[in-house]
Amino acid sequence: MKISRFKSGAVTLGAALMCATVLAGPVTADDAAIGPVVGPEINEAKAALGKRLFFDVRLSGDAAISCASCHQPEFGFANDLQLSLAYPGSKGFRNTPTLINTALAANWFHDGRIGTNLNDVTRESLTEDYSMNMDMRMMQERVKQDPVYLEMFEAAGYGEPSNGSIRKAIPEYLNTLISKGSPFDTGTMSDAATRGQALFEGKADCISCHYGPRFSDDQAHNMGIPENPEIWSDPMRHMTYAAFAQFMGVENYMNIRQDVGAQIIRNPVDRSDVASFDTPTLRELKYTAPYMHNGMFRNLSDVVAFYNTGGEAVPNLDSRVRPLGLTFLEQQDLVAFLEALSGDPLTGPEYVWEDKIPTNYVAIENWRDVKN
Amino acid sequence: MKTMKNTFLLMTGAAAIAMTAGMAAAQDAYPALAPLGDPPIPADNQMSDAKVELGKILFWDPRIGGDASTACVTCHEPDQGWGFNDSLSRGYPGTVHWRNSQTVINSAYMGQLFWAGSARSLEKQAPSAAKGAVAGNGENDVMETRLAFIPEYRRRFNEVFGTEYPLIHDAWSAIAAFERTLIVNDTPVDKYLAGDTSALTEEQVAGMELFNGKAGCIQCHNGAMTSDENYYNLGVPPSERWEEDGLAQVTFRYEIYAKGVTQEMYRVLKDDPGLYFRTKEKDHLGKFRTAPLRYTMYTAPYMHNGAFWDLREVVEFYNAGGGENDFTDGTMSSTKSDLIKPLGLTDDEIDQLVAFLEGFSGDELRVEPPVLPPYEALASE
Repeated sequence: MKISRFKSGAVTLGAALMCATVLAGPVTADDAAIGPVVGPEINEAKAALGKRLFFDVRLSGDAAISCASCHQPEFGFANDLQLSLAYPGSKGFRNTPTLINTALAANWFHDGRIGTNLNDVTRESLTEDYSMNMDMRMMQERVKQDPVYLEMFEAAGYGEPSNGSIRKAIPEYLNTLISKGSPFDTGTMSDAATRGQALFEGKADCISCHYGPRFSDDQAHNMGIPENPEIWSDPMRHMTYAAFAQFMGVENYMNIRQDVGAQIIRNPVDRSDVASFDTPTLRELKYTAPYMHNGMFRNLSDVVAFYNTGGEAVPNLDSRVRPLGLTFLEQQDLVAFLEALSGDPLTGPEYVWEDKIPTNYVAIENWRDVKN
Repeated sequence: MKTMKNTFLLMTGAAAIAMTAGMAAAQDAYPALAPLGDPPIPADNQMSDAKVELGKILFWDPRIGGDASTACVTCHEPDQGWGFNDSLSRGYPGTVHWRNSQTVINSAYMGQLFWAGSARSLEKQAPSAAKGAVAGNGENDVMETRLAFIPEYRRRFNEVFGTEYPLIHDAWSAIAAFERTLIVNDTPVDKYLAGDTSALTEEQVAGMELFNGKAGCIQCHNGAMTSDENYYNLGVPPSERWEEDGLAQVTFRYEIYAKGVTQEMYRVLKDDPGLYFRTKEKDHLGKFRTAPLRYTMYTAPYMHNGAFWDLREVVEFYNAGGGENDFTDGTMSSTKSDLIKPLGLTDDEIDQLVAFLEGFSGDELRVEPPVLPPYEALASE
């Protein structure tokens, strides 16, 4: 396996390190190196349990959707919509991010509002009213009614099912969703992709944010990405965003017509975080179109062309966003490199729960004689 | 809870007096049956036609709920006595409820809503129903912003409450105002008690005498609303569905978990602890608020878990001295009311009592369902 390292010189590396130090603490050159993703160690029984939970619609309030309804294995655990699906009665206002390699992220959601761990990410996704709208106490009791789960929780060492162990098992499953077999990782890149890598690390300077095995600095930046007008023209998307903004304490939430992004986290008075979004991973892009936090670009050529022109002029535009002067052929090479970062699809039984999961509940026969 | 304990003491005292004085005096010891007047209107939620009309639309609108499928009317259907004609209420999709849905008719007169009295006003009852996981499963932020994207609601809320955008808190006020118009107070019993002696049949009048005397119903079902709004364990058996229906078992455990009991109680409870949830006092296990008897011709099945399917079955249950449940045998507690004992009613007397009870219902109240206004994009300022 080939381990690529920075080749773009100390200036770029220094900028990347400075940037990353602000929120995430010191980054060593090894952390910043681009190379294969090494996933955490897996507890098989816990991961198997988490896999079944991930595909079980009974984990949403009205038992209509599962995690996999939006995070679909065939689309790199994302989906092919610009803006995400949502819990019935709501509509999404952001693009569904991939869950592949999410186990190695430092923060989650496009605005990076969860910066702790996947247990909290799981809780947020399960309970948020426009997401899965699940009362976790109800979730626990539903899971306890399924004899298959009783065995699986026992086998996983969790004992009796609880909402706490559900939020441990799902992250354990997510730990298994790790990229493998990409031309970049296996050293089988095309010449175009190899030329693209040089541009990535050099002239195009993508690497100043997209570094490390996942190709992300886990920081939020404003790249001047155009707003997706559908968020404001579709009342169901707009109301879902407004409800989110209200809950997050965004001022004047009924009158804004902009996704404020990471501004919600620290809410700086100079609004310097407005419309900043977390640097997404560049792995598995082959499966996860459309792109950007709001799905505004349908293919990688459009994304590269966008960066080549330098984004929309906004006050807090990241200083590294500027016209890149890439030729058409250079843009094609860059796309070839990005495509070489996609590996084998994670669609086999190792990753997908293929047995039928019941949607009803079998009665406990001797109900009065056993303890709840 | 102090107030309630005092009330219990008073009740015990009153019961003792009644017993010493003999059953003939019973009807004097309790608030007498009376014609139902106008409902009380709270000072902070005055009525207006515009508010009532808004509340009516909201009552039918499933967007006040989690997945926009479950409105107030979903479990309080006008053609099912403004309740739900199954033992346990329908519940949010993916769930079943765990108690019987009560009629909204005349709820305006009640000071304690829900079977264990957990809400003290219609304004407090509505959000509790809209948010509960086995009812509406909604959240304030989503429900409130949905209303803002419905131009007709913006206009109506502005007219009634003066706000730029609808507030969910005001939605509860409007719904409560609408519910205060769902009044049935011209029943045969009301007319009879107001002096029209032809309003009840001879059989019904005989039933009323039993009600006030031999059957002792008046001890709890008293006053104009036929409820003392106190709490009793009658020995209504636990719902059979908890033994037979997996979904109902899920909800049962969810309720005892969510409402908060000790670990030990969570393990062993197989019956609805009722008032205990609010007080956590073992003396209150299995006690439920006296149900009003008005409009009951349309609200079968009866009791907190819908155990009985017609009024005769209910009367026979009382005649037999009530029943047994998990809080009557002393294992966990023995809270069965002393007032519940075999009544010795003959078949004819049971018929008379049932006929009298039917006199509390009057004509069915139906209204024209509203047209629900659509969402529209919100214009930019």
